Amino acid sequence: MLKKLKSVRFYLTLALIISFLFAAFSIYYKIRYWGFALEPKELTNVWAIETHITFKPTGDPIKVSIARPNADNTFKILDEDVVAPNKYMVQFEKERVILTNTAQQKEQDIYYRVLVYDNKKGKGKVYAPKPEVPSPPIFDEQSQLIARQLILEAAKLEGNPVQQLIKLFAQEPPNETVMAFMPKRKSAKNTATIIKDILSFQEIPARLAWGVKLSEDKKSFSADVMLEAYLKNKWEVYNIETAEKGIPKNFIIFQHGGESLVDVEGGENSVTKFSVIKSISTSFNMASHRAKLLGDKNWFDYSIYSLPIAQQTALKWLMIFPLAILVVVIARNMIGIKTMGTFTPMLIAMALVQTGFLPGLICFALIIGIGFAIRLLLSKLNLLLVPRISAVVIFVILIMQFFAIVGYQWHLDIASSALFFPIIIMAWIIERASIIWEEEGIKNAMKEVFFSVVVAILTYFVIVNPYIRYIMFAFNELNLVILCLVMLLGTYTGYRLTELLRFAPLSKDKTDV
Amino acid sequence: MFKFILPHSLRQAGILGMNYRNYEIIGKNNPRHLYPLVDDKVQTKQLAAQAGINTPALIGVIDAQFKVKNFLSLVKGRKEFVIKPAHGSGGKGVLVIKKFTQNYFRTASERVLTYNQVYQHISNILSGLYSLGGRNDVALFEEMVHFSTNFNQYSYRGIPDVRVIVYKGYPALAMMRLATQESGGRANLHQGAVGVGLDIRTGQAIAAVQHNQSVFQHPDTHVDLTKLQVPLWKEHLLIAAKGYEMSGLGYLGADIVLDQFRGPMMLELNARPGLAIQIANKKGLYHRLKEIDTFPKNLTPTERVDFVLAQSKDKN
Repeated sequence: MLKKLKSVRFYLTLALIISFLFAAFSIYYKIRYWGFALEPKELTNVWAIETHITFKPTGDPIKVSIARPNADNTFKILDEDVVAPNKYMVQFEKERVILTNTAQQKEQDIYYRVLVYDNKKGKGKVYAPKPEVPSPPIFDEQSQLIARQLILEAAKLEGNPVQQLIKLFAQEPPNETVMAFMPKRKSAKNTATIIKDILSFQEIPARLAWGVKLSEDKKSFSADVMLEAYLKNKWEVYNIETAEKGIPKNFIIFQHGGESLVDVEGGENSVTKFSVIKSISTSFNMASHRAKLLGDKNWFDYSIYSLPIAQQTALKWLMIFPLAILVVVIARNMIGIKTMGTFTPMLIAMALVQTGFLPGLICFALIIGIGFAIRLLLSKLNLLLVPRISAVVIFVILIMQFFAIVGYQWHLDIASSALFFPIIIMAWIIERASIIWEEEGIKNAMKEVFFSVVVAILTYFVIVNPYIRYIMFAFNELNLVILCLVMLLGTYTGYRLTELLRFAPLSKDKTDV
Repeated sequence: MFKFILPHSLRQAGILGMNYRNYEIIGKNNPRHLYPLVDDKVQTKQLAAQAGINTPALIGVIDAQFKVKNFLSLVKGRKEFVIKPAHGSGGKGVLVIKKFTQNYFRTASERVLTYNQVYQHISNILSGLYSLGGRNDVALFEEMVHFSTNFNQYSYRGIPDVRVIVYKGYPALAMMRLATQESGGRANLHQGAVGVGLDIRTGQAIAAVQHNQSVFQHPDTHVDLTKLQVPLWKEHLLIAAKGYEMSGLGYLGADIVLDQFRGPMMLELNARPGLAIQIANKKGLYHRLKEIDTFPKNLTPTERVDFVLAQSKDKN
């Protein structure tokens, strides 16, 4: 017998250890590769940027080259895809997406969609190799003269040479020297190009950077240009209008350097529009994309996090059950608290989570109290059991309805929380308690109700904790550990805590008798 | 007020805990499929009759609601009777009627019930109110036990019975349960009945407890409990020991009452007897069970009882 027990316990312990190791690995994997957080409610901004290109084919073979956002440390690419008419060859290169096709007749629509998310930890760092000294632009003599003049005037302004120049160009009304230098069509791109040229003239490496300002639900806009200059051994980004240094908040750079964002060969009148949609995403939603990038999308598809949100919410609720069950098992088998029905306390606790603690408890007491009174009246009618308990159920429903209405009219949370209690459970508590009352006296009845509520409260405090709830959902493999633990507890043959009290008079050392 | 003791000293005292009982003793000695034999009192009665064990005679069974209204014809011509749920436990739903007319029924605990109340009670039994798991049940009518006048002073109104724990066929521990005013005439210790631990060889009182506290007198009748001696003790043990063959249960509690005319009778067997008997005996079960594990197997009930009786007194 003993040997057999030992082997049962041995295997269950082994199962517990294995499940524990598995859970530990799985948790590590989820954190490391799927980006799960250990804390609840860590939200990340996810931006969907869509580049929409339209053009008319000229009749030549088509080649469209689109800049991919620079996957620097500020933003990371979660997902990207191209929606184009059939027969386009799509190639993802390091910095660009190339689409090629044979000659076409109709107007072409191409979408390039990319999802990026904030990488909070990597903010403010732009790494780049040290550029070579730029070759000075080819200026004619007059231009050279003006350029020098500009540099002199800029030197009077505040900031570093780059900022000085930008400020000079941004002055209102425009500086005359600047006017002379500027082309007729003033645009951000032109301004940036000229400033870049003048900087090169001073042997300061500079380049244009194209990017998109991410703001909520922006539609149909063009890319922004920024100026990047290499000063003091690092590239820094400057706003072309305000001379502010650094990448603005929520600005994502698609491309550094001269090339345009979108090149279309074999097409004309091409129009490029961007649109941005912001969504706040939990680490779960992002996990899917990360898993896809990792190539273990299939694995992820069969986890609960790929389910529709509604089902995830339901599961989130379910995932806390095993822990509540564990509490009940411990309360009954290790502590030895006698409760009404095995899982009644758990169900009361579940209701308390929805109603809030104090309102729920008061409401519970009221429903049970009123139900009790009604049950006392019912017992005078000599009804059969099933109709009687059914009558109690209906009475409970009516009480709840009454509370809900009164609570709404009087603005009492306590009353309106009535609806969350499981009706059948309430009716059974009332029925059981009144039977115990009749059979064993009110003291025993109250005792059982009381201890059930105590265990319910205990369970409540475990499952109401948002941190615990999050952990149990995000790392649901822990339920496997709980399962093994519960089974192992099934072989626990030691004393219950209450037995230490119950059998106290039997102790050999009679100090306490 | 609360006095805890360390698990260590409980273990030393050989106290059987609930978990150990459930897992090691009941789980390994009582096959589940045998439970219905003892959970259903009708079956228990039939088995007992086959095994030659005395039980209170069956008057009749009411197994359907429409028959409830005829219950008076069932007990017609009798002076007294007992109504029980066939699947009840712990004395739940037992109604002892010691005097009745068409309309009024006097119970053993001197309550007077109306016809409607008794009718309701039987209905409740049928709908499973007192039964294990709450399933539908049948109501058992049996003859009332005429409690031996020996015990008149020892019990307040109710039914004193002897509980013998039988392990692998050997009587292990025994106690007598005495109803008190507080327990409402019932013999349930947790309701305030007095438990008197009995010497397993002699049927003499060892100790008595009420609510886990030592008592020496019956709280209501004030009779000296230490003088309690159960007559016909060997017959008691024999009935208990036969319960093993009869039910197949390796660990059982036999509830035995002493009828004035018919001697000891088995009231019921219990597949999950409680642990309060340890308190009444001021002694743990564990060592006793381990001892019995070493006893010879394959003896007849009589041989086993003799074996127990022959044991030297100071063994435990």
